[in-house]
Amino acid sequence: MGQERFADIVERFTNGYTDGVSASAESVRQWQEELDRTLRRFQNLGEMVSNPVEPRTGVTPREEVYRRNKSRLYRYQSSRTHRTPVLFVPNLGISRPYIFDLLPGGSFIEHMTREGFDFYLLDWGVFGPEDNGLTLEECVVKILPRMARKVLETSGTDGLSVLGYCMGAPLSASFVASHPEIPVQNFINMAGPIDFSRVGLFGLWLDKKYFNVDRFVDTLGAIPADMVKAGFKLLKPTMDLSTNINLWWNLWNDKYVEGFTALNKWANEYVAFPGEFFRQWVRDFYQDNKLYRGELRVGGRSVRLRSIACPTFVVGAKEDYIAPPDCVRALIDAVASRDKEYVELPGGHISLIAGRGASVHCWPKVSGWLGPRSS
Amino acid sequence: MVDSIPTQQFFDMWKKGLEDSTQAWARLLSQSTAAPPDPTAFWRPAVEQWVQTWARMIAASPVSPDIATQWKQFLDQSIEAWSRALGQAMNTDGFAQLLGRYLDQWLVTTAPVKKAADQQIEAALQTLNMASRTQLTAVARQIVELEERVERVEDAVGAVSRKLDDVLRAVQKRPAGGAHEVASKER
Repeated sequence: MGQERFADIVERFTNGYTDGVSASAESVRQWQEELDRTLRRFQNLGEMVSNPVEPRTGVTPREEVYRRNKSRLYRYQSSRTHRTPVLFVPNLGISRPYIFDLLPGGSFIEHMTREGFDFYLLDWGVFGPEDNGLTLEECVVKILPRMARKVLETSGTDGLSVLGYCMGAPLSASFVASHPEIPVQNFINMAGPIDFSRVGLFGLWLDKKYFNVDRFVDTLGAIPADMVKAGFKLLKPTMDLSTNINLWWNLWNDKYVEGFTALNKWANEYVAFPGEFFRQWVRDFYQDNKLYRGELRVGGRSVRLRSIACPTFVVGAKEDYIAPPDCVRALIDAVASRDKEYVELPGGHISLIAGRGASVHCWPKVSGWLGPRSS
Repeated sequence: MVDSIPTQQFFDMWKKGLEDSTQAWARLLSQSTAAPPDPTAFWRPAVEQWVQTWARMIAASPVSPDIATQWKQFLDQSIEAWSRALGQAMNTDGFAQLLGRYLDQWLVTTAPVKKAADQQIEAALQTLNMASRTQLTAVARQIVELEERVERVEDAVGAVSRKLDDVLRAVQKRPAGGAHEVASKER
């Protein structure tokens, strides 16, 4: 008689325990799968805690073609089968723009370059105390026109498309409307608020009855990144809880863990708001809704959305609580374009443009609309 | 002198021994091709056997593997309901007023503390003869202004260059006999 294996002892014990009771093979298989997953969860959790890996984000090849203070203009490698270049204008402050190029195989920028677009990204940069004097006017009247000219210069074309996301959309709409001399051939708004009377919770909390923006900016100088983070977390207080539950549920899946690590890194990396920019942004857009009302003036120029006559594409997200669909769709009625279209896609503010759902619903729609208009 | 000879010999022996043993270790390590031992190799068969056994045990009970999925769905729905309730509560004038008052109060408390801290840090850095944040910020602003001036100069030079190009093109487009006609008229 040889020495019994430990596993054999367990086998004998449990066979005795279940003696006389049979279990279907399918049920056993399902339980085995569930237990295997639980073991994988613990294994991956251990690795995440003891050996955290820095995710490789923003890896689509690019070159810096221009810089102005903290702002950078990047041009991405592409086959450039579409003649008209695209200038992508994301939000200023709040978060970093590598969300649009999060992971290989899960990147909006990678998709657009693969579709043959000459893609330029404006990275507004990370602001410090020396940037507290940066105004919204400067962004619309100096930075955006200069970036657009650099796009035209480096691409050698005589027209460009402008794609604004989130805050970048009202900023770029203001720029397009007030600079008819810049040859913008197409304008796309992705999840960008236009009619701030329908902007949801932020519109209510930042109302001039309750929020004194001048006092805020005069006291703090700049809006710290932690405060920006707290504001966005307050919009959805249960988000962290559901995120962690979903993480545990999917922790057995290595691909999910890879995506989560990258997204989590981005989601916790907030950027401060320059003080003067924040003052104008809150007062003129959130509190007075000047852009939609046609009362906005920047650098001595009137901003009338009616001046936008180029083909316009607007994308709203069904579950967006930062820029609700009604607030985004308002651009369609405000522009004078004949060729204009609005689509409302599944997802939230971020998942509209980043994630598995975005690659299925959003990206092909955007490239499909822009392609024929970029010859 | 006589005593140093055995000492020297001992030292030489020790040194040779050390060199030989170092070389031997180096040969041993470079020749070794075996993979490092896998600590889980011992436990993996036992764990797999355990999982299979537990799966058979639990499957024989009335509990279904769907229970985990059902529990997850229950959690999701609860959190969603909670989120909706909180959203409704926060979407009121009362909450906005409360938030505004809290932020105002926070500013009132923070402002003097921040000011005092900034002044103290400034004074301490001055004492240590180090640059303060204000000074560094001022320098950064000057650099930004310089950048803008250089850009304005570049723009002006670009505009002049374009004008010169236009003039040159206009001159080149003039008919070829134009200069000859002028000369003959003068005669």
